[in-house]
Amino acid sequence: MNANKNDKFKATTEKNGNSCTVYLAGELDLSVAPDFRLVMEPLVSDAGIDLIVNLKDLKYIDSTGIGILLSILKARHGMEARFLVEQVPPQIQKLFDMTGIAKFFAPNENSQ
Amino acid sequence: MNAEVQRVVISLPARAEYVDIVRLNLYGIASKMGFTYEDIEDMKVAVSEACNNSVLYAYGKQDGIVEVAFEVFEDMLSITVRDEGESFERTSTSGSATLHDKELLDVEIGGLGFYLMEALMDEVSIENAAGRGTKVVMAKRLTRSEEKV
Repeated sequence: MNANKNDKFKATTEKNGNSCTVYLAGELDLSVAPDFRLVMEPLVSDAGIDLIVNLKDLKYIDSTGIGILLSILKARHGMEARFLVEQVPPQIQKLFDMTGIAKFFAPNENSQ
Repeated sequence: MNAEVQRVVISLPARAEYVDIVRLNLYGIASKMGFTYEDIEDMKVAVSEACNNSVLYAYGKQDGIVEVAFEVFEDMLSITVRDEGESFERTSTSGSATLHDKELLDVEIGGLGFYLMEALMDEVSIENAAGRGTKVVMAKRLTRSEEKV
């Protein structure tokens, strides 16, 4: 139930060669966490692609969303497959810095 | 505004799809008070984390109620999130919830919500008693900005 249409969570996948970018928009919170997991699951397990999550239009993330990103990081790290998070809005970067997850997104891979 | 405290109380089903309603109410009240955009974003995260805990842990599979009370003071907003379910357990001892001193493989996800509440608000207190629910009280002081949201 999202009262404001602009806040409604959306995940759009775009494949380009051997990289795959998932564009997130709206609010990623507890209520849409299962939807986000569902979109990501097949992509995370595909070691043949570079997986990128673009947060440019993400308005809000809670600890559930941060937890999912963290579990993706762990899974990709275990598979030695690439996982990048790009275009992080300032208010979300602040949460990444506070929780300490920021250090796992390598700076050279995070600034494109 | 007169000196007495003004209260806005909302009562919602303890379900994930209602937590954004709490954020919308918070936005309305905090922007009316003159909080900055950044402070409002901080409070949105903190209040949602408290609600998430009630949704996830308070009632098991039963439906319950979460009550959120906003108390508007002259220079402070106090927010109380209360449920009447089983109280939740803190998943980690305080101080070790962040990932700063951890390697990726040692990281555990639980505890981030509490850490964020404490980091983003000026005051946080959590009361829980087995079987009698959980009450989280948090407050943010108003630092007036030139431009209102």
